[in-house]
Amino acid sequence: MSGMRTAAAVGLASLPAMGPRRLDSLLEVWEPEEAWRRITGGDRVVGQVLDGRLGKEPAEVLSRWTTAARVLDPVEALEAHRRSGIEVLVRGEPGYPHLLLDDPEPPVALFVRGDLEVLDTRRVAIVGTRRCTRSGRLTAREIAADLAAGGVAVVSGLALGIDGAAHEGALSVDGGAAPVGVVGTGLDRVYPKRNAALWERVAVEGLLVSEVPMGSGPSPWRFPARNRIIAALSEVILVVESHTTGGALHTVEEALARDREVLIVPGSVRSPASEGTNALLHAGVGPARDAADVLTALGLAAPVVGAGEQPNSAARPEGRAASPGRGHRPGGAVDPRDQAVLDLVGGEPVNLDRLAESSGLSLGELAVSLVRLESAGCVARSGGFVERLVR
Amino acid sequence: MIATVPSATLLGVRGRPVTVEVHVSSGLPGFTIVGLPDASCREARDRVRAALLSSGLPWPLKRVTVNLAPSGLRKAGSQLDLAMAVALLVAEGRLHPEHVAHTAFVGELGLDGTIRPVTGTVPLVHALDTDAVVVPAASVAEAELIARHQVRAAGDLRGLVAALTGSAPWPDGFPPESSPASVPDPDLSDVRGQPLARLALELAAAGGHHLLMVGPPGAGKTMLARRLPGLLPDLGPDHALEATMVHSAAGVPLAGGLVRRPPFRAPHHGASTVSLTGGGSSVMRPGEISLAHRGVLFLDELGEFQASVVDALRQPLEEGVIRVSRASGTVAFPAEVLLVAAMNPCPCGLGGAPGACRCSDAARARYHRRVSGPILDRFDLRIDVAAPDVDDLLGGAPGEPSSTVRERVIEVRGRAAHRGAPCNAALRPDQLDDVAPLSAGASRLLEDSLRAGTLTGRGLHRIRRLALTLADREGHPGELTAEHVALALALRSTPVAFEPGAAA
Repeated sequence: MSGMRTAAAVGLASLPAMGPRRLDSLLEVWEPEEAWRRITGGDRVVGQVLDGRLGKEPAEVLSRWTTAARVLDPVEALEAHRRSGIEVLVRGEPGYPHLLLDDPEPPVALFVRGDLEVLDTRRVAIVGTRRCTRSGRLTAREIAADLAAGGVAVVSGLALGIDGAAHEGALSVDGGAAPVGVVGTGLDRVYPKRNAALWERVAVEGLLVSEVPMGSGPSPWRFPARNRIIAALSEVILVVESHTTGGALHTVEEALARDREVLIVPGSVRSPASEGTNALLHAGVGPARDAADVLTALGLAAPVVGAGEQPNSAARPEGRAASPGRGHRPGGAVDPRDQAVLDLVGGEPVNLDRLAESSGLSLGELAVSLVRLESAGCVARSGGFVERLVR
Repeated sequence: MIATVPSATLLGVRGRPVTVEVHVSSGLPGFTIVGLPDASCREARDRVRAALLSSGLPWPLKRVTVNLAPSGLRKAGSQLDLAMAVALLVAEGRLHPEHVAHTAFVGELGLDGTIRPVTGTVPLVHALDTDAVVVPAASVAEAELIARHQVRAAGDLRGLVAALTGSAPWPDGFPPESSPASVPDPDLSDVRGQPLARLALELAAAGGHHLLMVGPPGAGKTMLARRLPGLLPDLGPDHALEATMVHSAAGVPLAGGLVRRPPFRAPHHGASTVSLTGGGSSVMRPGEISLAHRGVLFLDELGEFQASVVDALRQPLEEGVIRVSRASGTVAFPAEVLLVAAMNPCPCGLGGAPGACRCSDAARARYHRRVSGPILDRFDLRIDVAAPDVDDLLGGAPGEPSSTVRERVIEVRGRAAHRGAPCNAALRPDQLDDVAPLSAGASRLLEDSLRAGTLTGRGLHRIRRLALTLADREGHPGELTAEHVALALALRSTPVAFEPGAAA
């Protein structure tokens, strides 16, 4: 009976330290109900099935599972999810996304909020570092907005930095494709807290996906597993900024293992936040300058969206188009003196001292010029640093 | 028989006059001190007795009562020893009251009758209104700083009695410790490049604006901070005396007499709250913030200080005094300081530039929680300091020397004094409209910042004061221009590391 099967899968996924690999190994041998029964009964065969997957203290893991399973009612756990508006999809049951069926590591159970039909559109993941630059955030936002406007769903991890910026961008377009958020915690445990509002919007307007049941907080080992789902759900993976180590690079590995196309946004060779992406570029990953390049990779007609200012602003309703610092030049609005300053701000953040020196302006003149450039959306300032926003 | 001799005790950094009264009467031999003496003061009994006996002076086998008036005031320390001994000698008839008339005594007695110096000579003598003051020979130079009394030196008790009775001349005081060729303040010309940081230092000195420098290790934050005292003018006579009294009360050696240069104090980040604010159980000692009175308090590695320690500075920074309350009473220490702080942008030190940090979000958040919003708000100047260009370091021309900058600083401070404030940072908000009117461009700029939420109401006043200092520096009269305001805004930016979006 399928209700019991789903409930048992929820129960199994709720056990402490139950990761996707362990869960998968169990279900290779048994149906969920059977696995649940054996764990509740403390069956030693479970240990043999999972041989080599239980870490240093297999017996301890097993006994923790048994203890936890004896006080957990799987039917009640499943009901709790449904009461909170969370749908539970179990592999082998109807409703499970067909996208994941032929995946090398398909999640056993998926917990989702929102509209599953989003997965029927074209999908691009936009991922990157949490420690990004302003221009990185802006690039992620812009590309995501243009993709959403072009009917492409943006998949990302709802993390701080690039991930969040991509979701914001996708949500900024009225009538655009809804975004998909893939998270590493239970759907009732918003992480990071700072993105709580964004998280809720993604759930309401798009789709929120997790493979961990309610109540599971953030644990470091869950995030790489989450990254594989991002890779599995997307056709193209775009990395906007990444350091030499980081989750985004892990997503890239997972994507390559699944034969997905990976694109990166090239950055200055001096910017630490672009070290990882530039390394990928050097290794042969293709560059993407804007949404058009991504659309081309998807096989969509590029000129429709994102090729220049005109289609961009046409694709979005008036008023929203003026999200500060869209990647186009505010034509003719820049004073020639300010233009000279703008020309000195390159691809990487530059500090005021350098700018004063290279422009030959006094600090006061420079400050006034930067205020004008900033209000025109040409540069962004963070602390004593200036970043170029226009291309 | 009764005798009274004036002396003084220390309360915080101020001296309080104390009258030492000695009553000798027949009765069971004994020696009692009344009038709230603390432990070290009560021990005077044994020191006085031994000192008298070893100086060949008699110790009465009578009932001796010493009263320290006003008896409601707590007395601490050993500086009353000498006055007790002299009063006892008068009460016994060894000295005629005439000999000690209009003379106060300050000093500690050794068992052999030598007279030893005590901490706080300057404030103690300052509190005395007698014609003459007798102090230990080593303290003569300090006592003479007050320049209101005839200062007499005393080497030991026997010599003092001889000098008082006129049978021997007064000994000379020790010459003032030759100040060890006071090391000149490091010069600003050593700093190459870094125009923004140089400007910020000058504005801090000229306008009394507190300064926070955020930057990676090796950017030269400490080097810059150490050059700030050199930009400040010499202390005026009143301020010099205030600073000297604090130093004397804290027992800091006063090598060059009056503290004429603004002091520079740089407590280590392991400092406790009490070491910074002052305090103590029986004797209240001034803390680092008071030792930096009229000078510079430099907190290097602000992020490594305990949050509670830094937050304890909020009230004194606002009021210029710090009130330390203990069960024994409340003491107000002076604390007019120019606060300069430096910190790394984050624990890894690389977070100065956007996107460069390698710390975990939690580590950054923990680091930044140490510096509370209210403290961050106290800094009028908040700048990111980046490591100077290699070209500047090697080939750059030396920058302006401190002396040139100091002249401008003195001029700007003069303008502030004209407005009735010690410095521009101390201008009241209601004065600002009069002294710092805004041009149309300047007010538009401020309005935009306020609307954008990058500036708060409190920050607005700080920006206006800072812009005024910028205008004063250029000798620009009249309305503040957009340029002044824009630069002031740039000099009071939220450091990259503190931006909520920086980690994001």
